[in-house]
Amino acid sequence: MITKNRKKNSGGYDFSLLLPVLLLVGIGIVMVYSASSEVAFKKYGNDYLFLKKQGIATLIGIFAMIVFSYTPYRLLRHFSYLFLITGLGLLIILKVSGMGYEAGGATRWLRFKGFSFQPSEFARFALVIYMAYSLSKKHENIKNLYIGFLPHVIVLGIFSALIFMQPDFGSVVILAIITWIMMFVGGVRIMHLTTSLLLILPVAVYYMMTAQYRIQRLISFLDPWKYPRDEGYQIIHSLMAFGTGGLWGSGIGQGYQKLFYLPEPHTDFIFSVIGEELGFVGVVIIISLYALVLWRGIIIAKNTDDLFGSYLALGLTVAIGLQVFFNMGVALALFPTKGLTLPFLSYGGTSLLLNMAFVGILMNIGRSG
Amino acid sequence: MKRTEEKKIKIRIIIVGVIFTVFYLVIGAKAAYEQIYRGPTLSQKAADQYEKMYYASGKRGTIYDSKHKEMGVSIDSISIGAYPKKIKDKKDDSKTIAKYLDVNEKRLLKKLNSKKSFVWIKRHVTPKKAKNIKDLNFEGVDFIKEHTRVYPKKTIAAQLIGFSGIDGKGLEGIEFYYDSYLEGEDAEQVVIKDALGRGFDHEKRVSDYNGNNLILTIDSTIQYIAERALEKTVNDFGARSGMAIIMDPKTGAILAHAHYPFFNLNSFGKYDRGLWRNRAITDPFEPGSTMKTFLAAAAIESGYCSPDSIFQCNGEHNIEEELWEGAKEKQWKTLQQIIKFSDNNGAVKVAEMIGNKNLYNTLKDFGFGSKTGIDCPGETSGSLKSYLRWSKVEAGTISYGYGISVSAIQLITAVSAIANGGVLMKPYIVKAITDENGQFVSSFRPQRVRRVISETTAKTVRDIMATVTTSGGTGVGAAIEGFKVSGKTGTARKINKKGEYEKGKCIASFIGFAPGDNPELAVLVTVDEPQIKHSGGAVAAPAFKKIVSETFNYLTITPQIAAVRK
Repeated sequence: MITKNRKKNSGGYDFSLLLPVLLLVGIGIVMVYSASSEVAFKKYGNDYLFLKKQGIATLIGIFAMIVFSYTPYRLLRHFSYLFLITGLGLLIILKVSGMGYEAGGATRWLRFKGFSFQPSEFARFALVIYMAYSLSKKHENIKNLYIGFLPHVIVLGIFSALIFMQPDFGSVVILAIITWIMMFVGGVRIMHLTTSLLLILPVAVYYMMTAQYRIQRLISFLDPWKYPRDEGYQIIHSLMAFGTGGLWGSGIGQGYQKLFYLPEPHTDFIFSVIGEELGFVGVVIIISLYALVLWRGIIIAKNTDDLFGSYLALGLTVAIGLQVFFNMGVALALFPTKGLTLPFLSYGGTSLLLNMAFVGILMNIGRSG
Repeated sequence: MKRTEEKKIKIRIIIVGVIFTVFYLVIGAKAAYEQIYRGPTLSQKAADQYEKMYYASGKRGTIYDSKHKEMGVSIDSISIGAYPKKIKDKKDDSKTIAKYLDVNEKRLLKKLNSKKSFVWIKRHVTPKKAKNIKDLNFEGVDFIKEHTRVYPKKTIAAQLIGFSGIDGKGLEGIEFYYDSYLEGEDAEQVVIKDALGRGFDHEKRVSDYNGNNLILTIDSTIQYIAERALEKTVNDFGARSGMAIIMDPKTGAILAHAHYPFFNLNSFGKYDRGLWRNRAITDPFEPGSTMKTFLAAAAIESGYCSPDSIFQCNGEHNIEEELWEGAKEKQWKTLQQIIKFSDNNGAVKVAEMIGNKNLYNTLKDFGFGSKTGIDCPGETSGSLKSYLRWSKVEAGTISYGYGISVSAIQLITAVSAIANGGVLMKPYIVKAITDENGQFVSSFRPQRVRRVISETTAKTVRDIMATVTTSGGTGVGAAIEGFKVSGKTGTARKINKKGEYEKGKCIASFIGFAPGDNPELAVLVTVDEPQIKHSGGAVAAPAFKKIVSETFNYLTITPQIAAVRK
């Protein structure tokens, strides 16, 4: 069975992964243009601005994907600590250097010579590689609390603390869940995982309650229609977009909620624009494409004999899958608003570049596993 | 051991996959809920925000008379409306608004509680009142620029012009008939606004919605002359009502179209609806002796008669008021005399001579029994039975105007055919349509319907008709010094509800044209139920004279000019 799979994946590209990804990226370009053109025109006088930037990011992303798909993933193992330190370094630079770029009350971006970059995205990448490396290395002693559990939680804790300070609660949650899932798959004791979760929970709740904007987000999440002009604004406009779209959608470019009603229509709320313009049918197609990517990643992780490769594939798949789940969940009011992008679809160079790199790595694992 | 551990890892990987699949399914389910189940509600909520009703009521076009004087014009006014959903304190607001605008508070509150997205609070208020409300800054109350129709000449040509309602829709008369030209375009439209309140569709300039103007053939001065003369006549004789139509016989253009009693177009609602009707177009009546004109035309055209052909009559002159009651003393009269003295018995003899078919065909050719096609709503075709169905009595009475019904417009149009040399013209009221910049959209040329009689016949009939206004004729009251005036009187008994002719209830009429050989004006005057005197010669002929001489004065048509034109 393993040989059979090997044969299948031995040469060329893994189309069952590549095709849905390219489709998503393609739809993404169209939807970014549709969602951003009015905003871009009114704010910058150029309705093609975001389309152009996204197009360039896509080309770079595809290039990165190809490079990573031909780079033996095992090499990453040697860089795991380097990446980890780089990730930490970038987060610290963001905090202390003043090169950070503030948007919407949070400093999440590094700006360097006109190029913006989100350190937390890279931190996620670094953490996944570190976890895969560490879990595979400690495989034999994974049930040991001090070997299998605590070191990972400490690394996560450091990252989390730095990202908390931006503040970017959403990224912390995703990082934590990725870590937990990878530990779960890696065989860390369920006992450790659940007990620690129960310990962390009160801390998280306390944290939630300390920041005014988080409380507001929570309140508005619970009853958005009560605060249509204030905290609930984003959520209800997102829901209106979905509702207006109905089954078939209002057609590409025909949506209204992107016209300054939806904040960040081309990044955080691109799924709402899709919901309005492509309808439920479009939403189902998008979800299905993500499901294909997910299962391709899961199958690759399952079929890889090399533990590092298997964990890495799983970690990357989960990283993509979680972000998809949370972004869509926010747009559909399942979760309070978080500043999360939708992989492959949202406007944003860092996000696209990294996600494409993830796909490249997955392809490489699939090919060599 | 290692094998089982690897297997466990693989199982856990699949578990993760399954969990994520469940996550995605949850997303899909939530999307289905919001998009399919909640879709209609949500999209309505969305539409409420980004759709703004935009009332671009284009101005209704102006109605001008032939001298470009305004007969009907729209002026700007402000109407106050509300979006009930946006009003928070409906009870309080309706109380205040009701007080300021002098509207019923309960009714207003009911409106505001309705489920409609927009309701009117009060239409066409003064700018000052609108400002009072505006200053109070109600949320959900909107001020919409509208137009109010104003008729500067008030009662002038009221039945002809008609009026438009509060929504600017033409309801009667020309306003109704030409509504599609006059009306401003699309009064309301939905404009999509972004969150910053800017419109996305390119809003048309309001002027693009403006309606077209009408230029009538009516000359309001001539109309005024006709109306004053009519008013005086009706009042002098204690009549119920009257009509006067002036036509340019060469073209069929209506120069004046008067009805009495008047009503003021600016407050039409205060008058009896019966007054609104353009009776000259819509109401058929038995014309009486004016029909003898066409009998004469038929007789001459048939070739059987000349003006001097002699008929044996029963001896009664001007027996119109007594219906034909059979032979009395026999007397010989020429055709010309029969017309001049309006001899019913003679008319019957003439009709017998030329035959039913001939008479019928001529009357039909003059347009009786069919609509003239004038550009007014509700035209009647009158009634003219086929000669095959004429009874023996009818065959006689039709010759002097009973057993046939006509409209005033048919009558004036037919007589114009005699005046202009034998060609039936299509009567018309609107001579041109212009856009808001005064550019011609279309103009209407005189339309020939058919030649009815030869030019020679027409001249002969004109000459016969001219004798009516000479000494001894029934219409001597219509004579105007210095002009040859051709005409014919009519005194038609009215039928009561029982279907009987009633004594003392007549329609007195006079139909004629002048100057005799090259008529500039054809005029019809009818007076309904005059009390003091009854005959057309006594009642309508003087009114005709007054109208024609004053109009000649206005048009500076003098006897000399008339002679030269001849």
